[in-house]
Amino acid sequence: MRLLMWWSGRALSSAATLLGVSVLIFAAVRLMPGGFAETVLGPFATAEQKAELATRYGLDQPVFMQYGHWLAAVSGGDFGISMISRQPVGAELLARLPVTAELTVLAVAASVLLGVPLGVLTAVRARPGGGGAAGRLLSGLGVSVPEFVLGSLVVFVFSRYALGLKVGSWVPLTQDPAANLATMILPAAVLSVFAISVTARTTRDAVMGVLVEPYVTAAVGRGESPWSIVRHHILRNAATPVVTLIGTTVAYLLGGALIVEHVFNLPGVGSYIVQAVGRRDYAVVQAGVLLAAGVFIVMNVLIDLLVGAIDPRLGVLAGRRS
Amino acid sequence: MRKLDRLSIGGLACLLVLVLFALGSPAGAGGDPDAIVGPRLQPPGPGWWLGTDNLGRSVLPRVMEGVGTTLLLSSVAVLVTAVLSAAFGILAGYRGGYLNELVMRLVEVLYSFPAIVLAILVAAVLGPGQTAALASIVLVTIPLMTRLVRAAAVAVAQRDYVTSAVISGAGLPRVLVRHVLPNVAGTIAVQGTYALSVGIAVEGGLSFLGFGVQPPQASLGVLIQQGGTYMIAAPWLILGPGVVLVAAILAINVVGDGLRDRLEPRETRSLT
Amino acid sequence: MRPLRLACGVAAALLASACAATGPITTPTDAAQESAAPGYLAVADQALAPGGTLNVQVHIDSGAATGYDPQLADVATTWQLLSLSYETLVTVGPDFAIQPLLAEKWDTPDDRTYVFHLREGVTFSNGRKLTADDVVGSLKRLLASKSVWVGQLGPVDEIAKDGDGKVKVTLKEPYTPFLAALANVPAAILPMKEIDDKSVDPATTLLGTGPYVVEDHRQDVSWTFRRNDAYWNQGKPAADVLNITIAPEEAARIAALQNGGAALATLGNVDSESMLAGAADVKVVTQATTDFYYLMLNSLKPGSKLADPKVRQAINIALDTKQIAEVALGGKGEPTAVTPAGLPGSCDPAALPSAAKGPDEAKRLLAEAGAENLSFTLTIFNTEPAPAVAQVIQQNLQQAGITVKIEQMDEASWSGKVYGKAPAEFDAALSWFAGYADPGMVTKWWNPETAGFNAGFMRPDPALSAAIDAAGKEPAGAARDRALAEVCAQADADAQMIPLVTRPATVAFRTDALSPSLYATEGYGNVLRLVADARVKKSR
Repeated sequence: MRLLMWWSGRALSSAATLLGVSVLIFAAVRLMPGGFAETVLGPFATAEQKAELATRYGLDQPVFMQYGHWLAAVSGGDFGISMISRQPVGAELLARLPVTAELTVLAVAASVLLGVPLGVLTAVRARPGGGGAAGRLLSGLGVSVPEFVLGSLVVFVFSRYALGLKVGSWVPLTQDPAANLATMILPAAVLSVFAISVTARTTRDAVMGVLVEPYVTAAVGRGESPWSIVRHHILRNAATPVVTLIGTTVAYLLGGALIVEHVFNLPGVGSYIVQAVGRRDYAVVQAGVLLAAGVFIVMNVLIDLLVGAIDPRLGVLAGRRS
Repeated sequence: MRKLDRLSIGGLACLLVLVLFALGSPAGAGGDPDAIVGPRLQPPGPGWWLGTDNLGRSVLPRVMEGVGTTLLLSSVAVLVTAVLSAAFGILAGYRGGYLNELVMRLVEVLYSFPAIVLAILVAAVLGPGQTAALASIVLVTIPLMTRLVRAAAVAVAQRDYVTSAVISGAGLPRVLVRHVLPNVAGTIAVQGTYALSVGIAVEGGLSFLGFGVQPPQASLGVLIQQGGTYMIAAPWLILGPGVVLVAAILAINVVGDGLRDRLEPRETRSLT
Repeated sequence: MRPLRLACGVAAALLASACAATGPITTPTDAAQESAAPGYLAVADQALAPGGTLNVQVHIDSGAATGYDPQLADVATTWQLLSLSYETLVTVGPDFAIQPLLAEKWDTPDDRTYVFHLREGVTFSNGRKLTADDVVGSLKRLLASKSVWVGQLGPVDEIAKDGDGKVKVTLKEPYTPFLAALANVPAAILPMKEIDDKSVDPATTLLGTGPYVVEDHRQDVSWTFRRNDAYWNQGKPAADVLNITIAPEEAARIAALQNGGAALATLGNVDSESMLAGAADVKVVTQATTDFYYLMLNSLKPGSKLADPKVRQAINIALDTKQIAEVALGGKGEPTAVTPAGLPGSCDPAALPSAAKGPDEAKRLLAEAGAENLSFTLTIFNTEPAPAVAQVIQQNLQQAGITVKIEQMDEASWSGKVYGKAPAEFDAALSWFAGYADPGMVTKWWNPETAGFNAGFMRPDPALSAAIDAAGKEPAGAARDRALAEVCAQADADAQMIPLVTRPATVAFRTDALSPSLYATEGYGNVLRLVADARVKKSR
């Protein structure tokens, strides 16, 4: 019963957040200077053509009416029509989502497969009082190099020395998986550097926090091997912050993907949003940003669920996180 | 309490050097950052110690100006964030109730936007420039700091000394300023350093996408964006600002880590 | 295999450096290009077998609410894409010569009448034969449309079928640029039978007589064109498939060229030649275009000092177009007057009255106008090299004591600020025009009553408008050159829109993957004009 209550509360608050997000996006899009008409139709358009365009896309109605129509349509799964391509936005988003998803999945996989072991290793090896300066510096460097710096560097280096990997010639996954991977590895690597570093840092901190717990001391006293201690005591107890972090990372990566897609010319959701902002393609900006925020919100709910499964004391029944 | 470790002191020193370097620009060291002084795209040499850019301007004064712009923008933005987060976070955490609910909902909404998307929207609405960069950094960094300050304030609110202060008749402002604020200051300081590094990255990202400060003003993001296009023909254009940018973020992060270790000390042990 | 290729590479590099060492540094236009004929940057090697797939990358897609309708297309990047499927009666050859295309030839019985003889055996890509009715219908549809090109087509009086396979166009008065205006995509011949019976909507379907047929288009991602097997010009197009990828980021296009993902790409940076200098098998060429940058000074903003002709003249004098060309465009552009530099018959920008004067004269004019310490905002879009041009302008005007504040925005905000309101809100703004293929054409935009789009910031100047009309009527020759020089001088004095420098187009291609044909000059911004000739090299 409490569980059900908790879930309905969580769903309600998520819905409220999403509603807030939708209001904010809508307001931001309408507040952008530079009329859609001048942008979409160009400087040579007449006043009549502009009025016609406004009528066609319902942009001559009062703003709150437009918002109402939009919200109603989006709830029904209709994201509107792009003013530029004159195609449904939903279909294009669906076509672009796999690119961004693939990038994100690759980056998250790298951050889990490399970041977690790295974090555990540096924590377990750390000397009491010793700073682990090298590790700190290295992971610090990882979080300090912005995607646009690293991306530009990688594009430059690999456009000269390809090494079998490709820059700027994206191929759909369904068409040729091998060629697709060759074009996706570099952007995913650029994207994952930050995620790996953050994951390693968080894992290290979490593990070091667990290391001083009495049950670890007891296990050391019993003479258990370090590996067994890591497996049986540490990983389970350090998992919560790491899982939480990975959830946040996914959301972060969606933003980072925007820059990476731009640099590597990948047709994902991020580049769609950037281009649409530049062209005042209202429906696309609204749908794209709403999607990104929606993924983040859903991700947070999933994390709560996962954390609850790993450690029931912290989970659902322990009350709301915030 | 422990002293800051050596790495953090190194970070601090690095920051100090960067600030001094940036202060050289308004002092006139290095020359006018906007003046065309020589041929285009010259490698470093006398007259232009870091080379010239695609308009024949000396790169050195431009990097100096760029560091200043970026550091100043990010610091001011983070100060704003710190003040707002402290106010909202403490109020929400201490008072609770509908105020807490409202603040947390707003923060949640902002938090749901990927940072760079939020920044682009802000820049598109306000038009590119310093104001937009400032507002973007504030909006991007405010949610996390407010959340953490609130969490710290909730914990502090239940402490004995706060309760006894309330019982002894202290007014709300006095309790908040004298008892709650000092106890969440550590969180604000630590988060502030992280927000600073995020701010620098956001400013850079915005400039990279063409939403940054107005020309001819230089910022690290603008310089890197321009330098990136010339990486092959004129690598000195990206080298200076790139190194400085990474150094600044790294130094700030290292100081933040040190600060956290000092303010929230944890015991550590080794398994091996 | 590898050492052998390496050796060849070294030999080639040595040869290249030897050539470079023998003379002054040569620009691609005057460099002795192996097979290039006069007027060409490159000529496709006809010995290579046709067929294959050609991968091209460009920086921007077509994109307008008006869709694919060529008559309503108003930017060169869109013309370029539509020209793959649509054709015009006449076309532009090397060095801006007008050549036959869908019209095999034409007669001009008097200076107001043109009779076009249509080519036999031309079909639309749906298989239907091109008729004189399509031509008459298309031109009538264009004249009745809201297309900006109506202003360029001139004083057309009547369009009629003149027997079988012939179309007669009568003008109200002589108009020299008429054929050049007919040569651009908005004057393309559409399948009027299908459009009239509503079976084809040109806004959503490309159905023309051109060499390629659209197979697929994803907005802002890519186009796929397949060869039109029924194309009238036997043996063309050479490549079976033409893929066009949209890559807004310059670095990504450069990367694609280097690793072979693209065989040809348009480049925006004026220094791309030196950036690709070390790349194996990549050739960078600069196509001279008639496009040029111009500075708009808003004379209609209430209370603005720029309403004073003396102030505008002072700014015009203080501008150093040579430095703009050298520094902002890396020497790839050149100063121009209102008639695009490089077009036959254009006036000499060095002979303009403003060119002879210096900053001191500018200061004197400003003092006379009571506008010492003049300060204004220059609104620009963020696409390179516009910011570079603006920053050099800022430095130029500083010499005359004028303070310029640059306001850089994305193109959408820029359009909103410059064209959104009348009177417009900006002080000064920077943009560029396509210069077209006849020196009189672009000058027509200096009459806001013809252009329309600049009526919000530009006052009609009767003397300038009269000079533009006079030059339009004058047949090509010395008299017209004089008339055009008068237009240049009038526009220079008016200084509401100040021509600055030409805007070159840079193209790079892989010599091991492609043998393209490229004109040395281009008036309509169409790098792909000769793409039907391009031969794909398959043995790689």
